[in-house]
Amino acid sequence: MNERDIRQALKRGQAAVEAGRVPAFDRVWSAADQRLAARRRRRYVAVGFVAALAVIAVASGLLQPRQPDWEYVDPEVFATGTSWHAPSDVLLPEHRIDIYEEIPVLIESTEIDGGTLL
Amino acid sequence: MRDSDVLDNNPHVSRSALEAIHGQVFGWALSRCNYEQVVAEDLVQQAYMELLTGKAQFDGRSSLKTFVFAVVQNLARSRFRRRARHLQLAQQAMPEEMVATPIEPDSNDAVWRAVQQLPPRQRDVVELVFCRDLSIEEAAKVMGVSTGTGRVHYDRAKRALRKRLRDE
Repeated sequence: MNERDIRQALKRGQAAVEAGRVPAFDRVWSAADQRLAARRRRRYVAVGFVAALAVIAVASGLLQPRQPDWEYVDPEVFATGTSWHAPSDVLLPEHRIDIYEEIPVLIESTEIDGGTLL
Repeated sequence: MRDSDVLDNNPHVSRSALEAIHGQVFGWALSRCNYEQVVAEDLVQQAYMELLTGKAQFDGRSSLKTFVFAVVQNLARSRFRRRARHLQLAQQAMPEEMVATPIEPDSNDAVWRAVQQLPPRQRDVVELVFCRDLSIEEAAKVMGVSTGTGRVHYDRAKRALRKRLRDE
């Protein structure tokens, strides 16, 4: 059997095996197109979901009350200043809250009378 | 090539050119998956998707047929590499009599049967050159080997075929 005969016999065999099995091009093409469209839709949904999560995260970050910033006090101002804030301020429920509505009476002699201690 | 036919993401490919080689591409896909029609159709759909998205970019350096055949070949290779791993695990857990045997093409032709018995690379090169009318260089491109290697497979396949046909 020469090469030409082998080629022809192979082509016959191939044709017999593939006969009636090849689907129409249009069907395969449109199926591929639909799969692509479905894949794109899934991707958009995923991107939308991630974007929504990001928006929620940013919004919740913006809506949260801001903690007061630590402020730098210049040593010179500090030395000449007349006001003082206790470092324990951070433990108060609100920044710089006045915990003493009135000056407490510790002992009788500390009661205020006309601006002077008794 | 009609202008309206050209794929958006693949300027050197047209729908009509693909339609012209569809039968050959499908035949090649069939032989890639043991002649399982559903799997072959899935492979061809995937190949068309790759072309539509431009993931497989045809630059016109080879023939479109060679290019699409190579796309199908690569898709089949990666698909069956994944599947082989799953199959191996499934077969380990399966009773021996339940393990499926590959589907044989139902052709009685002696030459066809002799080709099917060749080692995979030799079978591929014979199919591409003899049945699909590619040159050895093109067949090597599709198979992802050098032209020299393709030629070696081709010569060995021809020798083996002659011997088998003489023996029968």
